[in-house]
Amino acid sequence: MADAKELMARYCDGDASAFRELYALVAPRVYGYLVKMARQRALADDLLQLTFFKVHRARSAYVRGADPIPWIYAIAHRTFLDEARKQNRAVVRVAETDELPETRADLHGQSDASRDEPRADPELVQTALDALAALPVQQREAVVLTKLDGKSVAEAAEIAGTTVGAMKVRAHRGYEALRKLLGGTPSAVRTAGGGK
Amino acid sequence: MSDHLDRVDELAALPPPVPPPIGAALEGELAHLETVGTRRPLRQLAILVGLSVVYATGLVVVLATRGDMHELPMGWIAGAAVGWLFGFLVPSYLALVPRTGSVTPRWQPAAIAAVIASLGFVSLGLAIHPMGDHSVRLGWEQFGRGHPCLEIGLATALVPVIVGAIFLRGVLPVGSRWIAAALGAGGGCLGGLVLHVHCNIADGLHVGLIHGGVVIIAALLSAAIVPRASNA
Repeated sequence: MADAKELMARYCDGDASAFRELYALVAPRVYGYLVKMARQRALADDLLQLTFFKVHRARSAYVRGADPIPWIYAIAHRTFLDEARKQNRAVVRVAETDELPETRADLHGQSDASRDEPRADPELVQTALDALAALPVQQREAVVLTKLDGKSVAEAAEIAGTTVGAMKVRAHRGYEALRKLLGGTPSAVRTAGGGK
Repeated sequence: MSDHLDRVDELAALPPPVPPPIGAALEGELAHLETVGTRRPLRQLAILVGLSVVYATGLVVVLATRGDMHELPMGWIAGAAVGWLFGFLVPSYLALVPRTGSVTPRWQPAAIAAVIASLGFVSLGLAIHPMGDHSVRLGWEQFGRGHPCLEIGLATALVPVIVGAIFLRGVLPVGSRWIAAALGAGGGCLGGLVLHVHCNIADGLHVGLIHGGVVIIAALLSAAIVPRASNA
Protein backbone atom coordinates (compact mmCIF):
# COMPACT_ATOMS: atom_id res chain seq x y z
CA MET A 1 0.00 0.00 0.00
CA ALA A 2 1.26 3.50 -0.83
CA ASP A 3 2.19 5.82 2.01
CA ALA A 4 -0.01 8.64 3.25
CA LYS A 5 2.04 11.41 1.57
CA GLU A 6 1.77 9.82 -1.85
CA LEU A 7 -1.94 9.09 -1.42
CA MET A 8 -2.63 12.64 -0.28
CA ALA A 9 -0.76 14.04 -3.30
CA ARG A 10 -2.72 11.82 -5.71
CA TYR A 11 -5.96 12.77 -3.96
CA CYS A 12 -5.14 16.47 -4.43
CA ASP A 13 -4.51 15.67 -8.10
CA GLY A 14 -8.14 14.54 -8.36
CA ASP A 15 -7.74 10.79 -7.84
CA ALA A 16 -10.76 9.63 -5.80
CA SER A 17 -9.36 6.11 -5.40
CA ALA A 18 -6.35 7.63 -3.60
CA PHE A 19 -8.75 9.20 -1.10
CA ARG A 20 -10.36 5.80 -0.49
CA GLU A 21 -6.93 4.27 0.10
CA LEU A 22 -6.01 7.13 2.40
CA TYR A 23 -9.26 6.61 4.29
CA ALA A 24 -8.56 2.89 4.62
CA LEU A 25 -5.08 3.69 5.92
CA VAL A 26 -5.84 6.50 8.34
CA ALA A 27 -9.51 6.16 9.35
CA PRO A 28 -9.07 3.11 11.65
CA ARG A 29 -6.49 4.95 13.75
CA VAL A 30 -8.42 8.22 13.83
CA TYR A 31 -11.64 6.32 14.55
CA GLY A 32 -9.97 4.49 17.44
CA TYR A 33 -8.88 7.84 18.85
CA LEU A 34 -12.36 9.31 18.45
CA VAL A 35 -14.11 6.30 19.99
CA LYS A 36 -11.84 6.45 23.02
CA MET A 37 -12.37 10.19 23.35
CA ALA A 38 -16.11 10.37 22.63
CA ARG A 39 -17.16 6.98 24.06
CA GLN A 40 -20.30 6.99 21.91
CA ARG A 41 -20.27 5.01 18.71
CA ALA A 42 -22.72 7.16 16.79
CA LEU A 43 -20.90 10.30 17.87
CA ALA A 44 -17.50 8.85 16.90
CA ASP A 45 -18.96 7.86 13.51
CA ASP A 46 -20.21 11.40 12.96
CA LEU A 47 -16.94 12.93 14.12
CA LEU A 48 -14.98 10.70 11.76
CA GLN A 49 -17.14 11.72 8.81
CA LEU A 50 -16.90 15.36 9.80
CA THR A 51 -13.12 15.10 10.18
CA PHE A 52 -12.67 13.68 6.69
CA PHE A 53 -15.15 16.16 5.26
CA LYS A 54 -13.02 18.95 6.72
CA VAL A 55 -9.89 17.32 5.31
CA HIS A 56 -11.62 17.23 1.94
CA ARG A 57 -12.63 20.88 2.09
CA ALA A 58 -9.18 21.95 3.27
CA ARG A 59 -7.15 19.70 0.96
CA SER A 60 -5.74 22.71 -0.88
CA ALA A 61 -4.01 23.60 2.42
CA TYR A 62 -1.92 20.43 2.17
CA VAL A 63 1.80 20.91 1.54
CA ARG A 64 3.19 18.33 -0.88
CA GLY A 65 5.76 16.04 0.70
CA ALA A 66 4.38 16.59 4.21
CA ASP A 67 2.96 13.79 6.36
CA PRO A 68 -0.82 14.39 6.40
CA ILE A 69 -1.52 12.10 9.37
CA PRO A 70 -0.69 14.54 12.24
CA TRP A 71 -2.73 17.19 10.40
CA ILE A 72 -5.71 14.82 10.07
CA TYR A 73 -5.39 13.88 13.75
CA ALA A 74 -5.29 17.57 14.67
CA ILE A 75 -8.47 18.17 12.66
CA ALA A 76 -10.08 15.22 14.46
CA HIS A 77 -8.94 16.69 17.80
CA ARG A 78 -10.44 20.10 16.90
CA THR A 79 -13.66 18.46 15.67
CA PHE A 80 -14.00 16.45 18.88
CA LEU A 81 -13.44 19.52 21.08
CA ASP A 82 -16.00 21.54 19.12
CA GLU A 83 -18.53 18.72 19.50
CA ALA A 84 -17.73 18.30 23.22
CA ARG A 85 -18.45 22.01 23.74
CA LYS A 86 -21.73 21.69 21.85
CA GLN A 87 -22.67 18.66 23.95
CA ASN A 88 -21.83 20.48 27.17
CA ARG A 89 -24.22 23.21 26.12
CA ALA A 90 -26.80 20.58 25.18
CA VAL A 91 -26.71 18.88 28.58
CA VAL A 92 -29.23 21.35 29.93
CA ARG A 93 -31.53 20.77 26.99
CA VAL A 94 -31.36 16.98 27.40
CA ALA A 95 -32.16 17.31 31.09
CA GLU A 96 -35.08 19.58 30.32
CA THR A 97 -36.61 17.17 27.82
CA ASP A 98 -35.85 14.03 29.84
CA GLU A 99 -34.25 12.36 26.82
CA LEU A 100 -31.77 9.67 27.69
CA PRO A 101 -28.21 10.17 26.50
CA GLU A 102 -26.82 7.66 24.08
CA THR A 103 -25.36 4.53 25.62
CA ARG A 104 -21.61 4.24 25.86
CA ALA A 105 -19.63 2.29 23.36
CA ASP A 106 -16.90 -0.23 23.95
CA LEU A 107 -13.50 0.20 22.35
CA HIS A 108 -14.86 -1.13 19.10
CA GLY A 109 -17.53 1.51 19.00
CA GLN A 110 -20.28 -0.96 19.81
CA SER A 111 -22.67 -1.07 22.69
CA ASP A 112 -23.37 -4.70 21.87
CA ALA A 113 -20.95 -7.44 20.87
CA SER A 114 -21.61 -7.72 17.16
CA ARG A 115 -18.32 -7.29 15.35
CA ASP A 116 -15.86 -9.94 14.27
CA GLU A 117 -12.78 -8.36 15.75
CA PRO A 118 -10.17 -9.73 18.14
CA ARG A 119 -11.21 -9.03 21.70
CA ALA A 120 -9.46 -8.97 25.02
CA ASP A 121 -11.07 -9.87 28.31
CA PRO A 122 -14.23 -7.75 28.02
CA GLU A 123 -14.47 -7.04 31.73
CA LEU A 124 -10.89 -5.83 32.03
CA VAL A 125 -11.20 -3.71 28.90
CA GLN A 126 -14.50 -2.25 30.07
CA THR A 127 -12.99 -1.36 33.44
CA ALA A 128 -10.08 0.37 31.73
CA LEU A 129 -12.43 2.23 29.38
CA ASP A 130 -14.59 3.37 32.27
CA ALA A 131 -11.51 4.64 34.09
CA LEU A 132 -10.40 6.43 30.92
CA ALA A 133 -13.80 8.05 30.61
CA ALA A 134 -13.52 9.40 34.14
CA LEU A 135 -10.44 11.46 33.25
CA PRO A 136 -10.66 15.13 32.26
CA VAL A 137 -10.59 15.56 28.46
CA GLN A 138 -7.01 16.82 28.29
CA GLN A 139 -5.63 14.00 30.43
CA ARG A 140 -7.72 11.43 28.58
CA GLU A 141 -6.40 12.70 25.27
CA ALA A 142 -2.82 12.61 26.53
CA VAL A 143 -3.24 8.99 27.69
CA VAL A 144 -5.04 7.94 24.50
CA LEU A 145 -2.43 9.48 22.20
CA THR A 146 0.73 8.53 24.07
CA LYS A 147 -0.24 5.25 25.72
CA LEU A 148 -2.95 3.72 23.55
CA ASP A 149 -2.10 5.12 20.09
CA GLY A 150 1.64 4.88 20.67
CA LYS A 151 2.45 8.45 19.61
CA SER A 152 5.52 10.20 20.94
CA VAL A 153 4.96 13.07 23.36
CA ALA A 154 6.08 15.51 20.64
CA GLU A 155 3.58 14.08 18.13
CA ALA A 156 0.80 14.16 20.71
CA ALA A 157 1.64 17.77 21.57
CA GLU A 158 1.52 18.75 17.90
CA ILE A 159 -1.88 17.09 17.46
CA ALA A 160 -3.35 18.68 20.59
CA GLY A 161 -1.81 22.08 19.87
CA THR A 162 0.10 22.27 23.12
CA THR A 163 3.72 22.22 24.26
CA VAL A 164 5.73 19.05 24.84
CA GLY A 165 6.06 19.99 28.51
CA ALA A 166 2.33 20.46 28.95
CA MET A 167 1.64 17.15 27.19
CA LYS A 168 4.09 15.36 29.49
CA VAL A 169 2.33 16.83 32.53
CA ARG A 170 -1.11 15.88 31.21
CA ALA A 171 0.02 12.34 30.42
CA HIS A 172 1.66 11.95 33.83
CA ARG A 173 -1.41 13.22 35.66
CA GLY A 174 -3.59 11.02 33.47
CA TYR A 175 -1.55 7.92 34.33
CA GLU A 176 -1.65 8.79 38.02
CA ALA A 177 -5.42 9.32 37.92
CA LEU A 178 -5.85 6.05 36.02
CA ARG A 179 -3.71 4.25 38.57
CA LYS A 180 -5.95 5.49 41.37
CA LEU A 181 -9.15 4.70 39.48
CA LEU A 182 -8.01 1.24 38.49
CA GLY A 183 -6.92 0.54 42.04
CA GLY A 184 -10.59 0.64 42.99
CA THR A 185 -13.29 -1.82 42.12
CA PRO A 186 -14.84 -1.87 38.66
CA SER A 187 -18.10 -0.61 40.09
CA ALA A 188 -16.30 2.28 41.73
CA VAL A 189 -14.74 3.15 38.38
CA ARG A 190 -18.12 3.04 36.68
CA THR A 191 -19.54 5.36 39.30
CA ALA A 192 -16.63 7.75 38.80
CA GLY A 193 -16.87 7.55 35.01
CA GLY A 194 -18.77 10.54 33.81
CA GLY A 195 -17.59 11.14 30.26
CA LYS A 196 -16.25 14.54 29.34
CA MET B 1 -0.58 -1.78 41.40
CA SER B 2 0.96 -2.36 37.97
CA ASP B 3 -1.66 -5.11 37.46
CA HIS B 4 -4.25 -2.39 37.26
CA LEU B 5 -2.37 -0.51 34.56
CA ASP B 6 -1.98 -3.79 32.68
CA ARG B 7 -5.63 -3.33 31.78
CA VAL B 8 -4.63 -0.18 29.92
CA ASP B 9 -1.78 -2.04 28.24
CA GLU B 10 -4.35 -4.59 27.13
CA LEU B 11 -6.39 -1.77 25.61
CA ALA B 12 -3.31 -0.49 23.80
CA ALA B 13 -2.57 -3.93 22.38
CA LEU B 14 -5.99 -4.27 20.74
CA PRO B 15 -6.19 -3.67 16.97
CA PRO B 16 -7.87 -0.42 15.91
CA PRO B 17 -11.65 -0.63 15.51
CA VAL B 18 -13.26 -0.93 12.10
CA PRO B 19 -14.40 2.52 10.98
CA PRO B 20 -17.69 3.11 9.23
CA PRO B 21 -17.58 3.40 5.43
CA ILE B 22 -17.20 6.80 3.79
CA GLY B 23 -20.43 8.76 4.25
CA ALA B 24 -22.86 9.63 1.48
CA ALA B 25 -22.06 13.35 1.59
CA LEU B 26 -18.36 12.71 1.13
CA GLU B 27 -19.02 10.09 -1.54
CA GLY B 28 -21.05 12.74 -3.35
CA GLU B 29 -18.07 15.09 -3.23
CA LEU B 30 -15.73 12.36 -4.48
CA ALA B 31 -17.98 11.70 -7.45
CA HIS B 32 -16.82 14.96 -9.00
CA LEU B 33 -13.42 15.38 -7.47
CA GLU B 34 -11.24 17.98 -9.13
CA THR B 35 -7.54 18.70 -8.99
CA VAL B 36 -6.62 21.37 -6.45
CA GLY B 37 -3.45 23.37 -6.20
CA THR B 38 -1.74 22.59 -2.90
CA ARG B 39 -0.20 25.13 -0.55
CA ARG B 40 3.31 26.38 -1.32
CA PRO B 41 4.34 28.18 1.85
CA LEU B 42 7.50 29.93 0.60
CA ARG B 43 5.68 31.21 -2.48
CA GLN B 44 2.88 32.44 -0.23
CA LEU B 45 5.41 34.17 2.01
CA ALA B 46 6.99 35.87 -1.01
CA ILE B 47 3.56 37.08 -2.18
CA LEU B 48 2.65 38.32 1.31
CA VAL B 49 5.94 40.17 1.72
CA GLY B 50 5.83 41.59 -1.81
CA LEU B 51 2.27 42.90 -1.58
CA SER B 52 2.80 44.26 1.93
CA VAL B 53 6.03 46.08 1.09
CA VAL B 54 4.52 47.62 -2.05
CA TYR B 55 1.51 48.77 -0.02
CA ALA B 56 3.70 50.14 2.79
CA THR B 57 5.91 51.97 0.29
CA GLY B 58 2.81 53.48 -1.31
CA LEU B 59 1.65 54.68 2.11
CA VAL B 60 5.03 56.32 2.81
CA VAL B 61 4.93 58.04 -0.59
CA VAL B 62 1.41 59.35 0.09
CA LEU B 63 2.15 60.39 3.69
CA ALA B 64 5.67 61.80 3.05
CA THR B 65 8.83 61.11 5.04
CA ARG B 66 9.58 62.69 8.41
CA GLY B 67 10.96 66.23 8.39
CA ASP B 68 13.65 65.56 11.00
CA MET B 69 15.19 62.58 9.19
CA HIS B 70 18.44 64.41 8.26
CA GLU B 71 18.94 65.53 11.88
CA LEU B 72 18.88 62.04 13.39
CA PRO B 73 21.81 59.59 13.67
CA MET B 74 21.91 57.58 10.43
CA GLY B 75 22.97 54.46 12.36
CA TRP B 76 19.83 54.65 14.46
CA ILE B 77 17.59 55.39 11.45
CA ALA B 78 18.97 52.39 9.53
CA GLY B 79 19.25 50.08 12.54
CA ALA B 80 15.69 50.70 13.67
CA ALA B 81 14.40 50.27 10.10
CA VAL B 82 16.18 46.91 9.84
CA GLY B 83 14.74 45.95 13.25
CA TRP B 84 11.20 46.79 12.16
CA LEU B 85 11.74 44.90 8.89
CA PHE B 86 12.93 41.79 10.73
CA GLY B 87 10.00 42.22 13.09
CA PHE B 88 7.78 41.93 10.03
CA LEU B 89 9.62 39.12 8.25
CA VAL B 90 10.34 36.69 11.10
CA PRO B 91 6.81 36.34 12.56
CA SER B 92 5.35 36.25 9.03
CA TYR B 93 7.75 33.45 8.08
CA LEU B 94 6.92 31.46 11.20
CA ALA B 95 3.19 31.99 10.73
CA LEU B 96 3.19 30.77 7.13
CA VAL B 97 5.99 28.26 6.66
CA PRO B 98 5.81 24.90 8.47
CA ARG B 99 8.90 22.89 9.22
CA THR B 100 9.85 20.37 6.53
CA GLY B 101 7.47 17.41 6.45
CA SER B 102 4.66 19.17 8.31
CA VAL B 103 1.39 20.72 7.09
CA THR B 104 0.70 23.12 9.95
CA PRO B 105 2.98 26.09 10.74
CA ARG B 106 5.04 26.16 13.93
CA TRP B 107 2.75 27.91 16.37
CA GLN B 108 5.17 27.86 19.30
CA PRO B 109 8.07 29.74 17.64
CA ALA B 110 5.44 32.00 16.04
CA ALA B 111 4.00 32.72 19.48
CA ILE B 112 7.45 33.50 20.89
CA ALA B 113 8.19 35.80 17.93
CA ALA B 114 4.86 37.60 18.42
CA VAL B 115 5.53 38.17 22.12
CA ILE B 116 9.13 39.30 21.57
CA ALA B 117 8.10 41.71 18.79
CA SER B 118 5.22 43.09 20.86
CA LEU B 119 7.20 43.72 24.01
CA GLY B 120 10.53 44.45 22.33
CA PHE B 121 9.45 47.38 20.20
CA VAL B 122 7.55 49.02 23.06
CA SER B 123 10.62 48.72 25.31
CA LEU B 124 13.06 49.88 22.63
CA GLY B 125 10.83 52.82 21.72
CA LEU B 126 10.63 53.91 25.35
CA ALA B 127 14.38 53.52 25.84
CA ILE B 128 15.92 54.76 22.57
CA HIS B 129 14.37 57.75 20.79
CA PRO B 130 16.84 60.34 19.48
CA MET B 131 15.42 63.78 18.67
CA GLY B 132 16.39 66.51 16.22
CA ASP B 133 15.56 70.22 16.01
CA HIS B 134 12.47 69.52 13.95
CA SER B 135 11.29 66.57 16.03
CA VAL B 136 8.02 66.99 17.95
CA ARG B 137 7.58 66.16 21.63
CA LEU B 138 4.05 65.42 22.84
CA GLY B 139 4.68 64.00 26.33
CA TRP B 140 1.89 62.77 28.61
CA GLU B 141 -0.12 65.99 28.32
CA GLN B 142 -0.69 65.64 24.59
CA PHE B 143 -0.23 61.89 24.33
CA GLY B 144 -3.71 61.41 22.83
CA ARG B 145 -2.84 63.64 19.87
CA GLY B 146 -0.64 60.85 18.59
CA HIS B 147 -3.60 58.63 17.70
CA PRO B 148 -3.28 59.08 13.91
CA CYS B 149 -0.06 57.05 14.12
CA LEU B 150 -2.01 54.18 15.66
CA GLU B 151 -4.47 54.36 12.77
CA ILE B 152 -1.72 54.49 10.14
CA GLY B 153 0.11 51.57 11.75
CA LEU B 154 -3.02 49.41 11.94
CA ALA B 155 -3.98 50.33 8.37
CA THR B 156 -0.54 49.14 7.25
CA ALA B 157 -0.98 45.87 9.15
CA LEU B 158 -4.25 45.16 7.36
CA VAL B 159 -2.68 43.92 4.13
CA PRO B 160 -0.29 41.31 5.58
CA VAL B 161 -2.95 40.09 8.00
CA ILE B 162 -5.65 39.74 5.35
CA VAL B 163 -3.31 38.08 2.84
CA GLY B 164 -2.01 35.74 5.56
CA ALA B 165 -5.54 34.85 6.69
CA ILE B 166 -6.47 33.95 3.12
CA PHE B 167 -3.39 31.75 2.76
CA LEU B 168 -4.03 30.00 6.09
CA ARG B 169 -7.64 28.98 5.46
CA GLY B 170 -8.07 25.37 6.58
CA VAL B 171 -4.44 25.06 7.67
CA LEU B 172 -4.82 25.68 11.39
CA PRO B 173 -6.79 23.11 13.37
CA VAL B 174 -4.60 23.89 16.39
CA GLY B 175 -2.55 26.88 17.55
CA SER B 176 -4.53 29.21 15.33
CA ARG B 177 -4.64 32.13 17.78
CA TRP B 178 -0.87 32.19 18.18
CA ILE B 179 -0.28 31.93 14.45
CA ALA B 180 -2.78 34.76 13.92
CA ALA B 181 -1.05 36.81 16.64
CA ALA B 182 2.27 36.33 14.82
CA LEU B 183 0.70 37.49 11.56
CA GLY B 184 -0.69 40.53 13.37
CA ALA B 185 2.60 41.27 15.10
CA GLY B 186 4.41 41.04 11.75
CA GLY B 187 1.89 43.40 10.18
CA GLY B 188 2.19 45.71 13.16
CA CYS B 189 5.98 45.82 12.71
CA LEU B 190 5.50 46.82 9.08
CA GLY B 191 3.21 49.55 10.40
CA GLY B 192 5.99 50.51 12.82
CA LEU B 193 8.42 50.75 9.90
CA VAL B 194 6.08 53.08 8.02
CA LEU B 195 5.74 55.24 11.15
CA HIS B 196 9.51 55.18 11.69
CA VAL B 197 9.97 56.71 8.23
CA HIS B 198 6.96 59.03 8.36
CA CYS B 199 6.37 60.32 11.90
CA ASN B 200 8.52 63.06 13.45
CA ILE B 201 7.01 62.80 16.92
CA ALA B 202 10.07 61.50 18.72
CA ASP B 203 9.41 61.40 22.45
CA GLY B 204 9.74 58.01 24.14
CA LEU B 205 6.11 57.73 25.19
CA HIS B 206 4.88 58.20 21.64
CA VAL B 207 7.50 56.01 19.98
CA GLY B 208 7.22 53.29 22.61
CA LEU B 209 3.52 53.20 23.38
CA ILE B 210 2.05 54.26 20.02
CA HIS B 211 4.53 52.95 17.44
CA GLY B 212 5.34 49.88 19.55
CA GLY B 213 1.72 49.62 20.68
CA VAL B 214 0.67 49.12 17.05
CA VAL B 215 2.41 45.72 17.19
CA ILE B 216 0.54 44.65 20.33
CA ILE B 217 -2.85 45.87 19.14
CA ALA B 218 -2.43 44.34 15.67
CA ALA B 219 -1.41 41.02 17.26
CA LEU B 220 -4.40 41.01 19.63
CA LEU B 221 -6.90 42.01 16.92
CA SER B 222 -5.51 39.41 14.54
CA ALA B 223 -5.64 36.70 17.24
CA ALA B 224 -9.28 37.56 17.89
CA ILE B 225 -10.46 37.74 14.28
CA VAL B 226 -8.28 35.63 11.98
CA PRO B 227 -8.97 32.15 13.49
CA ARG B 228 -12.71 32.60 12.88
CA ALA B 229 -12.07 33.59 9.30
CA SER B 230 -9.59 30.80 8.53
CA ASN B 231 -11.15 27.82 10.33
CA ALA B 232 -10.67 24.38 8.82
